[in-house]
Amino acid sequence: MSWLRKLGDTSLTTYTVLFFAFIYLPIAIIVIYSFNSDPVNMMRWSGFTFDWYKQIFGFSNASSEAALYIESTEQLLAAIRNSLTVAAFTTTIATVIGTATALAIYRYNFFGKRFYRTLMFAPMLMPDIVLGIALLIFFVGVGMPLGIGSIIIGHCTFLISYVFIVVSARLAGMDRTLENASADLGANEWTTFRRVVLPQVMPGVIGGALLAFIISMDDLVITYFISGVGTQTLPLFIFGMLRRGIKPEVNAIAVMMLLFSFTVAALGLYFRSRRR
Amino acid sequence: MRESIIRLEGATKRFPLPEGGTITALDAIDLDVARNEFLTLLGPSGCGKTTLLHVISGFVQLDQGKILIDGDDMGTTPPHKRPVNTVFQNYALFPHMSVGDNVGYSLDIAHVGKAERVKRVGEALDLVGLGGYAARMPRQLSGGQQQRVALARAIIARPKLLLLDEPLSALDRNLRQAMQIELKNLQAELGISFIFVTHDQEEALTMSNRVAVLNGGVIQQIDTPRNTYNYPANAFVASFVGASNLFDGEVRRDGDKIVITTPENDTVEAVLRDERSLNGGGKLTAMLRPEQFSLSGTGGADNCAEIDVTVDQIVFIGSTYELLGKTAGGRQINALLSASHQTRIGEIEQSGKARLSYDPAAVHLIPADDAGAAQ
Repeated sequence: MSWLRKLGDTSLTTYTVLFFAFIYLPIAIIVIYSFNSDPVNMMRWSGFTFDWYKQIFGFSNASSEAALYIESTEQLLAAIRNSLTVAAFTTTIATVIGTATALAIYRYNFFGKRFYRTLMFAPMLMPDIVLGIALLIFFVGVGMPLGIGSIIIGHCTFLISYVFIVVSARLAGMDRTLENASADLGANEWTTFRRVVLPQVMPGVIGGALLAFIISMDDLVITYFISGVGTQTLPLFIFGMLRRGIKPEVNAIAVMMLLFSFTVAALGLYFRSRRR
Repeated sequence: MRESIIRLEGATKRFPLPEGGTITALDAIDLDVARNEFLTLLGPSGCGKTTLLHVISGFVQLDQGKILIDGDDMGTTPPHKRPVNTVFQNYALFPHMSVGDNVGYSLDIAHVGKAERVKRVGEALDLVGLGGYAARMPRQLSGGQQQRVALARAIIARPKLLLLDEPLSALDRNLRQAMQIELKNLQAELGISFIFVTHDQEEALTMSNRVAVLNGGVIQQIDTPRNTYNYPANAFVASFVGASNLFDGEVRRDGDKIVITTPENDTVEAVLRDERSLNGGGKLTAMLRPEQFSLSGTGGADNCAEIDVTVDQIVFIGSTYELLGKTAGGRQINALLSASHQTRIGEIEQSGKARLSYDPAAVHLIPADDAGAAQ
């Protein structure tokens, strides 16, 4: 029966290789072709170049004017600036509110606690399109101008849930007798919170914040509805580029976003490992 | 003079049950622990011993009654303001702090200066045999070492009273026995009163000045380990602390002795020392420890009484044989027999019958009322 086992082993290996190829090959291709010098056909390799990266930042005009695809580097930089602003505000607000809510639900017993917890989970399950339309109608209804402010509020509505869930998971694994031990040793509630509870939930808070940051940077659907006409975030900008055909600069932008995400995630892992 | 460090008067605590109604965890408990005393709370799980500990440390508020620590009424004083420290069952060490920071935690709270803090943390760790471990993290230590850190952390502020909530239950047998002796020595050295909670009767007898046996939220007996073992106040104490053979029944006088006849018509002889234990009811429970039996005809006093048993099993446990059998009336008998009568024990195993003798003067008598109340 050894041939059967061999066949099993081989097919399992093949499956594994195909599985990871399916996930990572498209990304690898983007990275590789961001260095492809062929300006017209992206899939035909015609030499190595940094042109697309230079072009994004407005350094090079080596290519012909027709191939030049980003109208202005300022637009791209403005989109990045908008995205970073939104992500920074959203992350701060969502982390503070999400963490505080998780702590309150963990710490206290009150009427409707379970219902409240379910309400906190719900925005995660809500379809983005529905949330986007609902927010748009709401903002227009109350007369709030669309722009950075409305995007921040919109992102907070669902990112608070993400932070809440990550921090709650951390709290669920916490040993409650530690708080008793702290009180027993003379610490009041505030000192106990500061010296025992907070240091232990911190990895959860940081994890939640990074998650919120990346999702906020990345969100397209909800942002699309509530950004208004004047404001563009990075995902909206890229989406706008694609509508006029896929051009090599997109690859370069994608690679840089990828690098940025990896850096943020690596930072998160680094902080987690330091606290272990 | 006996100086009281903690006193409970009529302490009562009820908890609501999820299906409605309440359960009485502590039922009018009176307790008085002296300075430098080692008191053990002994009882089965659910007897209220942990609740009692939480009442003293302040995590549970009393429904009725008073609690005084060193003369001060604790009332609603929160845990962090009570001069009491606890060694928790699962140690409850702060995982994100080093051993030294764990031990020095209460000193930081009390704003003790840096130099003194370092000195006292070092002393406390030396005391529990962990000098030089201050920089380690709790997870790098073994269970026994974590236990010592928890102990050092609890005694560093020199509390008036140290509470220990089954602190040895997670340790293996050898380590547990070593820690029992160490704890006892430490208590003598520090001069702090200890209240030690356990469900292990051997532990209770080994370590304590006094043992309080708890069941159903009521203190069944509070006495020295010897008296608790030799003169249990009721049937619950008799069967929870050590093994025992109990015979409850009608009392008949026979000269200077009495004879107790159980409902199954087994009889046990005894000597009535205190007329009051009869309570006028004419009923008593006689208690015989397994080691009070011996094989008839192997020596012993002349005035021995005897009882015939059928043997179910004889178990060899090294220095002794444990005989498990039944009386004619069907009552379980547990007897420890000296291993020096090997041949006789062989005969008994063959015949399946044995005649056991005991000294009627050594039979402990439990008033029937109390025996009933404990059921």
